[in-house]
Amino acid sequence: MINLLLRYINLMVITIAVLVVISFALPYFFPGDTLTNLSGIVPESDAQRAALEAAYKLDGSVFAQFWHYLNTLVNGNWGVSFTSQTSLLKEVSIAFPATIELITYALLISVIFGIPLGFLGGLWHHKPFDFGVVTFSVVSYSFPVFWLALIFITIFSLQLGFLPLSGRVNLLYDVPHQTGFILLDILRADMPNKADAFYDAIQHIILPTLSIAFVTTAIFVRFTRRSIMDVMEKGYIDAAKSRGFTTKQIFFKHGLRNALLPILPLMAMQISTLITNAMVVETIFSWPGIGNWLIQAIYQRDYPAIRIGMLVVSMFVVSLTITIEFLSRAIDPARDKFERGAV
Amino acid sequence: MAQFNLYQEEYHPSPIMHIWLEFKRSHFALVGFAVLLLFCVITILAPLLAPYDPNVQNTNAILLPPAWEGNGTIAHLFGTNALGQDVFSRTLHACRITFGSSVILVFIALVVGVALGTLAGMNRGVKSSILNHLLDSLMAVPTLLIAIIIVAILGTGLANSMLAIILALIPQFVHQTRNFVREEMKKDYILLDRLDGASSFRIFWKSILPGMFELLAVQSTLALSVAIIDISALGFLNLGAQSPVVELGASLSQSLEVAYSAPWLIALPGFCIFLMVLSINIVGEGLRSALRNRLIH
Amino acid sequence: MRLALSSSFIASACFILFACTSEKTDITKNGITFCSESSPASFNPQLDTSSTTADASSHQIYDRLLEFNTEDGRIEPGLASSWLVSSDGLTYTFQLRKGVQFHNTEYFTPSRNFNADDVIFSIDRWRVNSHPYHDVAGGNYPYFQSLGLKSTIKEVTRINGYRVEISLYKPDSSFLANLATDFSVVLSAEYAMELLKDGSPSDLDKFPVGTGPYKFVAYRKDQYIRYERHTDYFLDTKGPEHLVFDITPKSSLRVAKLITGECDAVAFPSQNDLEIIREREDLTLLEKPGLNVGFWAFNTSKPPFDNPKVRRALALAIDKTSLLEAVYLGQATRAKSLVPSASWAHQSNMQDLGYNPVAARKLLDEAGIPFNFTMNIWAMPVQRAYNPNAMKMAQLMRSYLAEVGVTVNIVSYDWARFRENLTIGMHDSVLIGWSADNGDPDNFYRPLLTCSAIPSGTNRARWCNEDYDTLIESALKTDNANERRVYYHRANNIIFDETPLVPIAHAYQYQAVSNNISGMVINPFGGIRFDDVERKP
Repeated sequence: MINLLLRYINLMVITIAVLVVISFALPYFFPGDTLTNLSGIVPESDAQRAALEAAYKLDGSVFAQFWHYLNTLVNGNWGVSFTSQTSLLKEVSIAFPATIELITYALLISVIFGIPLGFLGGLWHHKPFDFGVVTFSVVSYSFPVFWLALIFITIFSLQLGFLPLSGRVNLLYDVPHQTGFILLDILRADMPNKADAFYDAIQHIILPTLSIAFVTTAIFVRFTRRSIMDVMEKGYIDAAKSRGFTTKQIFFKHGLRNALLPILPLMAMQISTLITNAMVVETIFSWPGIGNWLIQAIYQRDYPAIRIGMLVVSMFVVSLTITIEFLSRAIDPARDKFERGAV
Repeated sequence: MAQFNLYQEEYHPSPIMHIWLEFKRSHFALVGFAVLLLFCVITILAPLLAPYDPNVQNTNAILLPPAWEGNGTIAHLFGTNALGQDVFSRTLHACRITFGSSVILVFIALVVGVALGTLAGMNRGVKSSILNHLLDSLMAVPTLLIAIIIVAILGTGLANSMLAIILALIPQFVHQTRNFVREEMKKDYILLDRLDGASSFRIFWKSILPGMFELLAVQSTLALSVAIIDISALGFLNLGAQSPVVELGASLSQSLEVAYSAPWLIALPGFCIFLMVLSINIVGEGLRSALRNRLIH
Repeated sequence: MRLALSSSFIASACFILFACTSEKTDITKNGITFCSESSPASFNPQLDTSSTTADASSHQIYDRLLEFNTEDGRIEPGLASSWLVSSDGLTYTFQLRKGVQFHNTEYFTPSRNFNADDVIFSIDRWRVNSHPYHDVAGGNYPYFQSLGLKSTIKEVTRINGYRVEISLYKPDSSFLANLATDFSVVLSAEYAMELLKDGSPSDLDKFPVGTGPYKFVAYRKDQYIRYERHTDYFLDTKGPEHLVFDITPKSSLRVAKLITGECDAVAFPSQNDLEIIREREDLTLLEKPGLNVGFWAFNTSKPPFDNPKVRRALALAIDKTSLLEAVYLGQATRAKSLVPSASWAHQSNMQDLGYNPVAARKLLDEAGIPFNFTMNIWAMPVQRAYNPNAMKMAQLMRSYLAEVGVTVNIVSYDWARFRENLTIGMHDSVLIGWSADNGDPDNFYRPLLTCSAIPSGTNRARWCNEDYDTLIESALKTDNANERRVYYHRANNIIFDETPLVPIAHAYQYQAVSNNISGMVINPFGGIRFDDVERKP
């Protein structure tokens, strides 16, 4: 166990180190002035340039610069965005929770719909219902998420006028930033019209959440269905049958647990898929999340922001992945190696 | 039955033939396969099929609706876009770019991935190295995310986004190949080869690679559907193909400007991407269950 | 127990979801959302000629000494209640309004009302090089520099707390008009001094304080600007309690948001959507012939564009008529010179270059431009009345230029960066334009093409011609419109011969407004105004 933990910690450290080194090297490869790429500031005078160079240790060796970079990363002194001149730490800390909020709800929806559908499909294997479930999952898995979002907008916002198509909440509600989760922030905020703002925020959240939940639901359906089918073919199910248990008893006593356990980590892994899709969908719904922010930074060639944005997103995804992998092996040591679900 | 066999001969289909026979049993898979073939034909013949040059602008025919609507003309089957370009021709060319570049990049990723995976699998020393682990954790990261990050570093453009997706796909091929090769290396027939004095390369080429074919076919369909979604997503985000290159995702995002007055411009490219991915997924699914069934029988 | 809990939860959820749908709440009743096209470069219009900056600050946060009447363009009292011009036209005396209060915000509490010190501070900031605030935001005041106002004003003196005298070196027939433009805002001297003491003078342009009808609350780049009503505003206005600028760069998205009711008014609706807006009963399309010109300017400081032959050849290679149809959908008139027909200086018999690719290629050959010569066209990323879709125009031009063997790369950055890079002259050519800030033709001729307008960045062609400058100078020295017209027509001929830029269109100005609000008008002389906009009951 300790051995396993050490191995994964080792892996995590090395992965993060690789990411940090890459992000450290980036400003030197980006086009343009290295100093501006590093600091986000265009020096206006030689004195300022010299001061900045000294601050970023550009006059020192590469190791000194790297050491300085590590320090700034740890201290949260991430520099400023080239275009808006605001602190990157602050921008990321506002944008990132917005994405997390979006994927949290999408994950919930996928679990609530995906798992039962997959169960039923797996149990009634090769029946019309199963056929419908499989068709649904293949079709929705094939939807390009950005097209789906556009279809939702066309139908529900423009044609029917039910739901808004951009942002998190009507901007007239001035919700103070606390947790970064808009619904929580509204509930915690000391503001008039709380209920209205909450309702408004829910309306805003529906379409983006559904757009990214679609694909994940399809994936969950397939995982669950496959897993149930595998479990129900197992010998202990036959044994239980021969002992005279009803299908219901068998399913809840043996099937459910054994089918769910192995796929839980697989599902947790889908968080990274959700993040990616959220990044795309955010740009469509003008959702002020990390994806929208990073893609704007790419358009504007805002290198300090690109560097920090990619570091934050990739660190999050990689450490999440490694943690889940570790947990799944710690819980279920019988499994030799993390098996990736083929979708 | 125009033919009959005089002698009762036992018929042994080759493994590939066997898969095809199994595959054929599913009508869905066949339809998917036909659609996929259609896209292949479009990819190869798009310049011949398209009635117009996709980039030629006709300012006298701007935003014409499709032919079946009131003021559409048969000269422009799917109408024209905001620059007066023929949408049908553009869609054909866009399918060609999206599908063609995806096939190419999957092929490259496959070759590189198999090469690296084989090296890792046959080479005992590399086995426990941390590099393998790194590769594994990299594999869990969605390719689109990796591609966005790589494009952010390299800059936008079709070539860069292809490169980015290749890099993002390679780990999967490496992983699959490595595991397969490692399993095979334990088997007796490889030992036999070794005893016969075969070189490592010969073992790989003559003994392992033929057995890997099915695995790679399944993995490639998976990779292809991912590649199409990724390349069109990058195009949609304006990070991929830039005009004048016509690409499905990029045309979709250009159509957004006229989304309300010309919704068919959004419907068409999106539907093409959807159909491509769907047909690939269905074929992939068919292939997988055919393989499974063949192993069972 | 469990049942009771869950049912009460469901009940409360239902309450939250449905209780409030029936009636609109206070905040949305008292607030107006305007979907603007881009992020402002700063909150001080002295620093930027972009209309985005002016929209976001000029008429919201600030006031001017004088104002234009939005109907007829006459000059009216603003912060100055009356003014006197000496007979030689060299001295202007302004009597200031009393009891005008500055905004009381989270970051500044004013201790005194508006007075002469604020006027002097606001003018001296850009006028006097040694002023402590002159270099705070880079020391570039493009509007005033492009007009050469620095060398026009001799002195700004305080007569008493509410009387200011401005003396000039030379008479300037457009001086009063310039004081009424969006750029001549009055800042708070007291706030500036406080910031200077705190060592954060640059906050003056980021956290603005003015006397205008709205006070600044919050800004997030590319997302929103929030304002709140200035309750002690010196005029009696009907404006809403809250005003939000929802920054939405895509014009189609702005119209979509107008349709779903997320915006109450939008800037620059997409040309393709105008018909839809006209047809819808819940929306109104405001339109007005604009005092503007959209053009294609060559960077004449870069070879081979320093050669008039090359510029003329490129001008001949594009078909303006098709551009007008495809980009403006016919909602614009073809431009032959800088000023539109609404101005008295317009020259109706002006000659124009037609579409002639053969002649174009011949000229290019003469100038020694090889086949497959590559150049870039910078297409501005925002929509403007004078060019509602520069990217589309650039794409169309690319195919025209390809016919004469010129390969075009289209370049675009975000708006702030785009303008910065233009000012330092990184472009080969650019699709951009100019909207008048006052009705005087000098407002076209001087900032767009005179030598002194190169460093300030409004002269996108970076073109400097002494004959032209002399003509423009001479035109200002007289008040006689006929005489001035002659000078401007001679300037037109120089522009035609030299082709530093290709005028393309004078276009209509549009704003789309929801019928839930009233009081929106198009301000032909600059930034958008919300002081009299209100939500219908």
